[in-house]
Amino acid sequence: MSRLRPGETCRVDFSRPLEFSFLGREMTGYAGDTVASALYGAGVRIFGRSLKYHRPRGLYSMEGESANTFMSIDGVPNECAETTELRAGMAIEPQNVRGDPGRDRFGFLDAFDRLMPAGFYYHLFHRPYALWPLFQSGLRRMAGTGVLDPGAEYRNGVRTERYLNADVAVIGGGPAGMAAALAAGESGLRVCLFERRGRLGGQMTWRVRDFEGEPLYRRAGALAARVRAAENVNVFTRSPVTGVWGENLVTGFAVGTEDDPFRECHWECRATTVVVAAGCMDRPLVFNHNDRPGVMQVGTAWRLARTYGVRPGKSVAFSVADDLGLEAAIDLDDMGVRIRFIADARESGQQGPEVFDALCDRAIPFFPGCAVSRAVGRKRVRGCVLRSLKGGRSRRFRCDLLVANAGMQPRIGILATAKARLAYCTHTHGYQPTELPPGVFVAGSMTGLRDPRSIEASGRVAGYGVAEWCGGRLKSVAGARAPAREAEALPGPGAGCGIIHAPAIGRGAKAFVDLDEDGTYKNVKESIARGLDVPELAKRFAGFGLGPGQYRVAGQNLAMIMADLRGDPVETAHPTTVRPPLGAPSLATLAGPGHDVHKRTPLHSELAGRGAVFRRAGAWQRARHFGDDPSCRDEIRNVRTNVGVLDSSPLGKFRIHGPDALNALQRVYMSDMSKARPGRCKYSAMCNDMGQLMDDGVVVAEGPGDYYFTTSSARAGDTVEWFRFHTRHDDWDYNLVNLTDVLGSLNIAGPNARRVLERLTRDNVSNQAFPYLACRRITVGDGVEARCLRLGFVGELSFELHAPASYVPYLWDLVMEAGADFGIRPFGLEAQNCLRAEKGHVIIGMESEQRVTLTDIGMGWMWDREDTVSKKVGAPALRACDRQPGRLNLVGLRVEEGAKAPRDGTLVVDGDKIVGYVCTTRSSDTLGWQYGLALVHREHAFPGRRIHLCHEEAPGQRVTSTAFVMSPHFYDPRGERLRS
Amino acid sequence: MTFRLTCPVCGKRDVYEFTFGGQERGPRPEQDGLSAEEHFRWTQFRLIPNEPQEEWWYHGQGCGVWFRTTRDPGTNREVR
Ligand SMILES: [Zn+2]
Repeated sequence: MSRLRPGETCRVDFSRPLEFSFLGREMTGYAGDTVASALYGAGVRIFGRSLKYHRPRGLYSMEGESANTFMSIDGVPNECAETTELRAGMAIEPQNVRGDPGRDRFGFLDAFDRLMPAGFYYHLFHRPYALWPLFQSGLRRMAGTGVLDPGAEYRNGVRTERYLNADVAVIGGGPAGMAAALAAGESGLRVCLFERRGRLGGQMTWRVRDFEGEPLYRRAGALAARVRAAENVNVFTRSPVTGVWGENLVTGFAVGTEDDPFRECHWECRATTVVVAAGCMDRPLVFNHNDRPGVMQVGTAWRLARTYGVRPGKSVAFSVADDLGLEAAIDLDDMGVRIRFIADARESGQQGPEVFDALCDRAIPFFPGCAVSRAVGRKRVRGCVLRSLKGGRSRRFRCDLLVANAGMQPRIGILATAKARLAYCTHTHGYQPTELPPGVFVAGSMTGLRDPRSIEASGRVAGYGVAEWCGGRLKSVAGARAPAREAEALPGPGAGCGIIHAPAIGRGAKAFVDLDEDGTYKNVKESIARGLDVPELAKRFAGFGLGPGQYRVAGQNLAMIMADLRGDPVETAHPTTVRPPLGAPSLATLAGPGHDVHKRTPLHSELAGRGAVFRRAGAWQRARHFGDDPSCRDEIRNVRTNVGVLDSSPLGKFRIHGPDALNALQRVYMSDMSKARPGRCKYSAMCNDMGQLMDDGVVVAEGPGDYYFTTSSARAGDTVEWFRFHTRHDDWDYNLVNLTDVLGSLNIAGPNARRVLERLTRDNVSNQAFPYLACRRITVGDGVEARCLRLGFVGELSFELHAPASYVPYLWDLVMEAGADFGIRPFGLEAQNCLRAEKGHVIIGMESEQRVTLTDIGMGWMWDREDTVSKKVGAPALRACDRQPGRLNLVGLRVEEGAKAPRDGTLVVDGDKIVGYVCTTRSSDTLGWQYGLALVHREHAFPGRRIHLCHEEAPGQRVTSTAFVMSPHFYDPRGERLRS
Repeated sequence: MTFRLTCPVCGKRDVYEFTFGGQERGPRPEQDGLSAEEHFRWTQFRLIPNEPQEEWWYHGQGCGVWFRTTRDPGTNREVR
């Protein structure tokens, strides 16, 4: 199909054809085409089928305002054909259609609309309930948009994110936006300009009308060149804004071209001020069969011809309501598109006599005070009925394209997300802001301005206003006032038309208020008849403006039509709430690039070299186990009978010092911390205000008002916040230093641990000189000084070495070398988990949870209950829970021989009552039986009690087994091995 | 929801950098003779005023200071 040659306004490069396929048929478009313009240019007129009635739908908008042209492109559903740029080789399929959209097998549904009144799915289909799944799957097949393939990979291409900071974010790269950006930039402000299209200029890029001696598109080009050259103006094209949020955070996304390193990029711009110059869109004219393929917006027909060089039709009827519509019709006529007639809903008020001269010169029939009331033709427009708005006379015309709108309306979505107060303006007949949030400015045609000079001037006024707001240095006060004076002398906002719908609406034909959701004028009436007579209710009941059409085509019209039907003045109409995002970034972009930001211990490569299987634990990658046995039997046995080594570097390590250091420790730890001594580890725990265990670790005094302490790995990141929060009113003088990353640590554990350590140091580490819970500084190897803590988390003799992270790999080598004769081997988190569970040592979050206190899990002994002076966090709660009935307690379990093995999380039941659950359970080689740590109700928490475990094999299939309650200290209950 | 807070050390920063510490409810009560009810009132009981309130914020992604600020939960903005 031949294309028009529109000259300089054309964005399409006819020398670069691009092959693509539609429904498997090969087609040709050109570089610069969108998918929609290429399809239209290749002769496609039916783009898809509608959601509910399966009516054929064509190209209606060019700006992504209609979901009827959503396509599946290269297997990705719901791509917007109107705004997606054509690439070579695209495989395009229409949606909600079987085969060719021209011959859809659900097309008969259109005749059954009486069975589908507004909200039909709310009052049909749900009785009997058992049949609902059947109805649901049927409806799903017939309605809806794209189809997802659950097996497909949709995270295609690079998705990135970008965080910007600006004095001014200008939204909209049309003439007003560009003028604002230039004015703000000249004032020395840092400007980010966001334009959703591929190039700057807005509607000026396709208008040829004269502007001070040159065509408008040249003016746009000149402005764009200045903006591009401006030093402190950053231009982002193909970057739709998704919303403006609190304190002017502007969010959006950028669509990458083939030259960009990303496919789509999510960005956020924190701006001091925002200039919204989002422009206008066509207000749809609601008339009978206004959805037929061949009915389109003014901007669509105009841009097809001017921007893409596609002939929109052979014989075109225009039904418009403003001067821009007239300009479009005249321009199309000049390009050789035959204009059948122009109807203007306005009786009078057209600007300037030259319009009438132009119409006379071209012999275009002109009908003021009329509008199209019906489109004729089923799968294609073949004609239309024109009717006077005063009623009475009508006349039928033949045409193959019907360009219709009810004038232009401002794009208010961005203002709505920014929480600007909006009201219907009876002069411009559009929604205008009556109150703007601090730092938000509005400019351009969305304020109702129509004269290109006024539009540009309004941008300059906004630009200097922004500069003033930011306290920027203006060249001179007089200079700043000039644009305002200049703007005042130019024409102000033009009078709008205010036509709400075409005459003779309804009368047995469908007139669509919302094309995306198949919401008709009749549905609005039904909704009102049911008492759902405000837009927000009708929206939910009949689906107006839901789904992809949120606030695009339907929102404003629905409100006006409802006001009209209720007999209220139109200015009382309130459009439905805007739901972000205003543009449609892909889910893959919102999901982000999937960074795995984690920390590695200083021993990461050493562990990897020994076959460690890493697992994410909090912020860290940690060795879960070594080799290919996830049950870690050999690692466990080696610690119990010989010696193992654990990389415990993620352990929280802190220094607290200062005159009030002890006060702070007393506040957060449950024990009497004044008993912390030099050279000795004092074990204690922290609770929250509810008495729940939050953290445990050891504290060592290192000097007057100077302590070293450890926390669990998971809590290391929150410890500073915790200390400072609970002492925030006290004005205490202490310093807290997080040494977690600075110091690495490794734990040598097992009966042979001392013999290994003796080979590393000349310091005396005998049981007499270095008893259980001692803490010493020892010199290891070539003079590395390390803190050595004799602890026993895994239940064996063990020494923990804390040393500067950079020395830890060296220590590791020494330990492995010294232990080689014994057969030392590393062990990982899972082995540690089993070892400590056999010993009955608790891990926070595994055996403690929200419902249990320190006392409930058997650690109440450490609480210094006499101390009320330090105001320990959690002490009042512990006191209150002391004798409370119905609490959960931590117990040990021995699973009956031969019984079904429980898993972590298996429920403990008493009859049909849940009385607890198993926190951690393993089959132990050391013990020779399956043990478990469980939280059970206090009445079951005594040794010897027989309890029942409930296993759910499959939903509804339950098996029970028995276990016996015992002390959780299964292994070495007297702690002899720790002290050996 | 997004807004900015003024850290006394670092200045105005995005709310993402902060952790909320709740309403200011006075210093930790004396524990001598403190009844359970008084304790739970202090830890759990919250007013939901439709007016600016004093609250605690922690600049965790910044300098690590806990500070008090007055903010209007209706508009999310700090008031000074
Ligand atoms: Zn700070």
